[in-house]
Amino acid sequence: MKHLVIGGGIAGIVALETIRRHDSRAAVTVVAAEDHPPYSRPMTSALVAGTASPARMCLRPETFFADLGITAVIGDRVVALDIEPRAVHTAAGRRISFDRLLIAAGAEARLPDVPGADLDGIFPLRTIADAEGIVRVAATASRAVVVGGGLVGCKAALALRHRGLPVTMVITSSWPLSQQLDDAAGMMLRAEMEESGITVLPGRSVAAFRGNGGRVTAAVLDDGRELAAELAVVGKGVVPAADFVSRKHIRTGTGIRVSEYLETSVPGIFAAGDVAETFDLAGGGWRLNAIWPEAAEQGRAAGENMLGRRTAYPGSLARNVIRAGRLDLATAGVTVPPKGETGFTVVDHLDHRRGCRRRLVFHDDRLAGMVLVNRIAEAGRLMQLIRTRRPLTLPPDLLLEISLGDCGWPICI
Amino acid sequence: MKTVQVHPERCVGCMQCMTACAVVHSRAGTLFGALAEVPRPRPRIHVGAGRWNEGFPNRCRHCDPAPCILACLPGAIFRDPAGGTVLIDPDRCINCASCAMACPFGVLRFHPDLFAPAGKTVAVKCDNCLERQQEGLEPACVEACKSGALTFEESDAALRRQTNTVAAALSPVDDSWPPAGIRHAELLRFRRTLTELRRVAGR
Ligand SMILES: Cc1cc2nc3c(=O)[nH]c(=O)nc-3n(C[C@H](O)[C@H](O)[C@H](O)COP(=O)(O)OP(=O)(O)OC[C@H]3O[C@@H](n4cnc5c(N)ncnc54)[C@H](O)[C@@H]3O)c2cc1C
Ligand code: SF4
Ligand code: SF4
Repeated sequence: MKHLVIGGGIAGIVALETIRRHDSRAAVTVVAAEDHPPYSRPMTSALVAGTASPARMCLRPETFFADLGITAVIGDRVVALDIEPRAVHTAAGRRISFDRLLIAAGAEARLPDVPGADLDGIFPLRTIADAEGIVRVAATASRAVVVGGGLVGCKAALALRHRGLPVTMVITSSWPLSQQLDDAAGMMLRAEMEESGITVLPGRSVAAFRGNGGRVTAAVLDDGRELAAELAVVGKGVVPAADFVSRKHIRTGTGIRVSEYLETSVPGIFAAGDVAETFDLAGGGWRLNAIWPEAAEQGRAAGENMLGRRTAYPGSLARNVIRAGRLDLATAGVTVPPKGETGFTVVDHLDHRRGCRRRLVFHDDRLAGMVLVNRIAEAGRLMQLIRTRRPLTLPPDLLLEISLGDCGWPICI
Repeated sequence: MKTVQVHPERCVGCMQCMTACAVVHSRAGTLFGALAEVPRPRPRIHVGAGRWNEGFPNRCRHCDPAPCILACLPGAIFRDPAGGTVLIDPDRCINCASCAMACPFGVLRFHPDLFAPAGKTVAVKCDNCLERQQEGLEPACVEACKSGALTFEESDAALRRQTNTVAAALSPVDDSWPPAGIRHAELLRFRRTLTELRRVAGR
């Protein structure tokens, strides 16, 4: 049996390890475009902040593929996929045949479609190369602008601020992380970011970038204002890196659609991680939940299934944890019930004494989502209730009483 | 291989395990000394109060596969290949709390610790007292527990014993279940045993 994995991100490496754990002899090949030993993508923001070195970001040793006896094609990309006979073609002209394929190519940062977006000094934040580019420009820049208020935008703004740069964040919504946070928690995060010295411009977008000699000098807002900046980081979301996959052959929505066994519409071809569209446990339907823990879980389950060890993956759940200054935020599932939909109950609770805030969203008799502000250490217990979709036996407000992160014992506080 | 087994139905909520755990993870190794230390030694086991205010000793289950390992962003959580204990490298931990979201049991805590670089807040959880085990000692929480809620035994043996407990609980006293005169506490105990049994059996 010939196994092939496309992508050396977390989904790919967990799949490779899983395959090797159960089968020490199968022929296994990986094609990984990035010329770098497996590293932690979320830590690219720590590289920007200057709190981590590239060495610290490595998840596995340089000899990882060799140690596992895996044929590694590094620094080359898959450009085409043949279903019959089964093979991929790479940019460097290689042809690699396979019996079982895992597409774990992740996602690519979406770049802004505005005039001037190709100027030097404008970066997405996705790879080590992006982070190194940002650090290089940040060394001489006097101001930075961050476009977008999602997780990557927030992390980039906090990281640049940590370096001491004046940072302006341009967000189309009223508060950062608007996809996950309700207004109260969102305004708390915005206030916290402003307190750390970041200027937040809500309800605005960038219409163009202006430059001088090929380098960015300013961002032009939709209201015509200009923000001088020699560095711009754009966090406008990601798109699955699946351009080598023909939609004619493999069912694809926003990402590559997979079954609960991580198999695509073509038997023997699997997908996992940011490239895959999985069943969404909170909302039902298929969705791209492009987050690390799900990518790793999917990689594991995909590896098992590639070996024929049927391992179900029930689905993915959007979630987020961010620590910003004194604020710890944890969100999961449905945090703001969709307008016009019935069956939702929202319980909001503010605990002044412990300095925390909770929002629990119920759908019929199940917990569907949460927003926790501070005291998040036991958030996983609520996550488990959302994930398993078990009907609740406790009355909703009793759930708020569960002492999350505080067991009341004096030496524990 | 011996592991710590939790029998919540026997917990009396005395929190002796918590104290013992904090002490064993202190520099001094004594309660008196531990109380004066900075950073303050803290327990890795947490006794929570259940719905009826009954005690519930909660500690890391060293799951396999472990959701926290898969969720850890810098790869700071790993499994000790010898005994299966799930451990955190405090040096690599970036205090991101991704593990807290992933752990279905809510056993992680975040604070400065004797075993972490000075002043750094890190994720902390049960390490199965690996050092004590190397010296042939039981984990500190087990040694401290006087009510038998924490035992250190082969999981096979524990499973067999629990099967017997459940079998005994199910033995018909009456021809209807639950038996007419059964006390609430007994029902509760039965439910918990069953839950624990399912957990041990990995369901
Ligand atoms: C700054 C930042 C912060 C983040 N913070 C968090 C966080 O706090 N929590 C969280 O859960 N998630 C976070 N994420 C998201 C998380 O990093 C991703 O969900 C995760 O990395 C997805 O892993 P993956 O293996 O699916 O894809 P990737 O990590 O994208 O890996 C895919 C790999 O495949 C390679 N590849 C792509 N196409 C090809 C091809 N055609 N041929 C060969 N190789 C190819 C790519 O170069 C890449 O190396 C963050 C992301 C960023 C950028
Ligand atoms: S920390 Fe939680 S998820 Fe990780 S092994 Fe322990 S119990 Fe399991
Ligand atoms: S807090 Fe530490 S141990 Fe937990 S996921 Fe983050 S880095 Fe890993």
